[in-house]
Amino acid sequence: MSHAEPSMDATVDILAEKAGSSSLRRDTIRNVLRQRSAVVGLTIMSILFLVAVFAPLIAPYEPNTSMLDLGEPGSRGDPPCIHLFGCPEDEPQHLMGLDSNIRDEFSRVVHGSRVSLQIGFLTVSFAIVVGTIIGAIAGYAGGASDNVLMRMMDVVLSFPSLILAIAIVTVLGTGLTNAMLAIGIVSIPIYARVMRASVLSVRETDFVTASRALGESSRGILTRRILPNSLTPLIVQGTLGIGGAILEVAALSFVGLGAQPPTAEWGFMIASDRNLFFSAPHLIIFPGIAITLSVLAFNLIGDGLRDALDPRLNR
Amino acid sequence: MSRSRRWSPRLAVLAASAAIVFAACGGSTATTTPSTAPESSAPTTAPESMAPYEAMVYPASGEAPCGQTDAPDANHSAYTGNFKKISATDEKTVVFELCNPDVAFLSKIAFTSFAINDTAWLESKIDPAGTTNQAIVNEVNGTGPYKLEAWNRGSDVTMARNDAYWGNQAKTEKLIFRWSTEAAQRLVELQSGTVDGIDNVGPTDFPTVEGDAALALKPRAGLNIFYVGMNNTYAPFDNDMVRQAIAMGIDRQRLVDNFYPPGSEVATHFTPCAIPNGCAGDAWYEFDAAAAKQMLADAGFPDGFTTKIQYRDVVRSYLPDPNVVAQDIQAQLKANLNITADIEVQESGTFLDNADAGKLEGIHLLGWGADYPDVTNFLDFHFGSGSSLQFGDKWDDITSALAAGGAGTDDAAREPSYVTANNAIKTHVPMIPIAHGGSAVAYRADVTDAHSSPLGNEYFAVMTPGDRSQFVWMQNAEPPGLYCADESDGEALRVCEQMTESLYSYEVAGTAAEPALAEKCEPNTELTVWTCTLRSGVTFHDGAALDANDVVLTYAVQWDADHPLHKGRDGSFTYFPGLFSGFLNPPPPAPEG
Repeated sequence: MSHAEPSMDATVDILAEKAGSSSLRRDTIRNVLRQRSAVVGLTIMSILFLVAVFAPLIAPYEPNTSMLDLGEPGSRGDPPCIHLFGCPEDEPQHLMGLDSNIRDEFSRVVHGSRVSLQIGFLTVSFAIVVGTIIGAIAGYAGGASDNVLMRMMDVVLSFPSLILAIAIVTVLGTGLTNAMLAIGIVSIPIYARVMRASVLSVRETDFVTASRALGESSRGILTRRILPNSLTPLIVQGTLGIGGAILEVAALSFVGLGAQPPTAEWGFMIASDRNLFFSAPHLIIFPGIAITLSVLAFNLIGDGLRDALDPRLNR
Repeated sequence: MSRSRRWSPRLAVLAASAAIVFAACGGSTATTTPSTAPESSAPTTAPESMAPYEAMVYPASGEAPCGQTDAPDANHSAYTGNFKKISATDEKTVVFELCNPDVAFLSKIAFTSFAINDTAWLESKIDPAGTTNQAIVNEVNGTGPYKLEAWNRGSDVTMARNDAYWGNQAKTEKLIFRWSTEAAQRLVELQSGTVDGIDNVGPTDFPTVEGDAALALKPRAGLNIFYVGMNNTYAPFDNDMVRQAIAMGIDRQRLVDNFYPPGSEVATHFTPCAIPNGCAGDAWYEFDAAAAKQMLADAGFPDGFTTKIQYRDVVRSYLPDPNVVAQDIQAQLKANLNITADIEVQESGTFLDNADAGKLEGIHLLGWGADYPDVTNFLDFHFGSGSSLQFGDKWDDITSALAAGGAGTDDAAREPSYVTANNAIKTHVPMIPIAHGGSAVAYRADVTDAHSSPLGNEYFAVMTPGDRSQFVWMQNAEPPGLYCADESDGEALRVCEQMTESLYSYEVAGTAAEPALAEKCEPNTELTVWTCTLRSGVTFHDGAALDANDVVLTYAVQWDADHPLHKGRDGSFTYFPGLFSGFLNPPPPAPEG
């Protein structure tokens, strides 16, 4: 019966919409914007994005160019020189001073935002994709598949994530890409567990039962019915995970396993100038603040999203 | 053997038999038993001085084949070393016979790697059947003012005063070595009073220490060299023009001006000019980026190439901030020669082992601090016939000039040889000398007799840390091992120097060689035979008495690559061939590739 299929889809879609909320997206945005902390997070994140996108325009120098190459005066660890605050006009302005290699610290911090945001999003995206697949299969298939997959995830979770990441980088070799991969791998179980829990919950809903009753294939049910309705907790977890990924890759870079010289990555920048802590503390403080702000932004947004999407907290 | 003995004729036969068996099995040590056996009426507990002395001679076969040009067999290379024979003529006399004169002999034997070990100790702590990481690496049985109490891996080395020391007792009961690679941490520890002295004050921390009345800064002369090395067995560094182009393409003045502390200077030669004949010959290439780029193009690399910059992240007097200097060299190579160099940091011990084994295929950053003030310590160790594979295949014009220079008997006569050697080094560019780094150590102000040593071997037995009963020193890194015959890292050598002693030693805070375990070592007129008389009453930390056989075996296990006890941490024994031109029974060259 050729006319039965559109009818089935329409019916299920209506059920699915009813099972969720017709104004979920609108409510979510409204709820997020009601929370000051989330708004602060969104503001910081927006600024970070703008800085990252327009880094070449904002930064006065190339991040890896030494003042020595430009013939400009300066020595390692010079403090900030801001004309507005009394620094002589005949001296070149360096908002955050000069680093150990006599490079403009502000330019490196600005370009570092690009690296850090890429790290955060790529790492979490990789972990979400792989974790979603594993969690969805485990949750939907159940039985032995569920057991095997989740026990594997438990094994990964049983190691301290940073230690496991260090082990992975040691095997794969140092470098930013491998560090991101390592952090992504150790993050997979988190998303797999979240996804599995969502699938277990959603697969018992009426619209899934209806789809099954109407003869839709397992793959169709999983991809068209269950996954779209299981993403909410993943989005929350992913947002929180971005901050964590930025922090962990910075930690790997600090110990020399992540970003390699001369990459302008905040963790590496702190490591590179750590011996100037007493004579030029600004070289530690500014990248440190950048890391703090970016992690804080994603944590605030994540918390806001979680609250906004939790029906129990709806007012 | 140096432990006190009780003598009897029966024991004499047994001992002689054992010595013959030992020599026959290992081929390592011959003994000459005195012809006069003790009278049968002699007391069985005769004083030690009356016991016949079984003096060792090395090598057992007579003497080493000086001047050998061809490999004697497939398992060995030709002998290039300068030792001909070592003999213990009696309990307190050792005779070193050399192939060629060595004017720096006393300075060389004063070096820490040649600290004397007890025969029984060597035989018990080195397993002839073993390979690397022998027991002797973790334990010390020296004759020095301190003895090892504990080496807590990753934390500290603790030493206790040796109350049986033959010389002046150490001023402090305990000496503790700690370490941190971070200059900032070392300074914080000193400021907070948890340590009494630190090595290598950070380049930017000099004013902080000088401005603190509770601290005392002790600048150290730059008797060192920081260089950029290349191995000529790896492409593209197998091309002379490539190495010359890099030599011209690095602005060394920029490195010294911006990243080195006060007291540093650009190196015109590999050896510091303060050392006689160090600066003989032409000064190094001037920086010329355009000419360098053209030369690289002429060498077949108009667009540059990709390589690595390999180093260890360990602060040394010659390299106060490795990461920063490496990044600037990386930037200069890119800007001046379009060479893309990825930075590769290796663990310190691994890096040194890789360097010695010729396994560093990129540009590597390393340096050298003077062990004794003679040009041989710099040039022969790195470029002489007995040097390691660090720079690849050796150049005959360099090795022959160094051999001639080492055989000279006075500085003026040696100069032409070092002119030739330095000019040949400049032509072949096995490395690029960058800087002689000034550095400083710092102490708490109440430490008396605090000093810095131009050789980096501060001697803590003479220091008193206020009213405290222990002296805590914080250096840059943990020693890889404590059998310093098989170490070349200054962090290990300084620890050994507190507990072990050589026949000669260097004056405190100076460079002159002065008698230590030997009361004197006197040469013949040709400087080819050195007769050393040992000091009486010296005992090792375990109570064994020092005798001439201890000296012979200490040298023999380092000298002979085939000796059953020629084993340690990694078995490289880098210093011996570096200073005395080669091993006895040297292994064949490593196969290509």
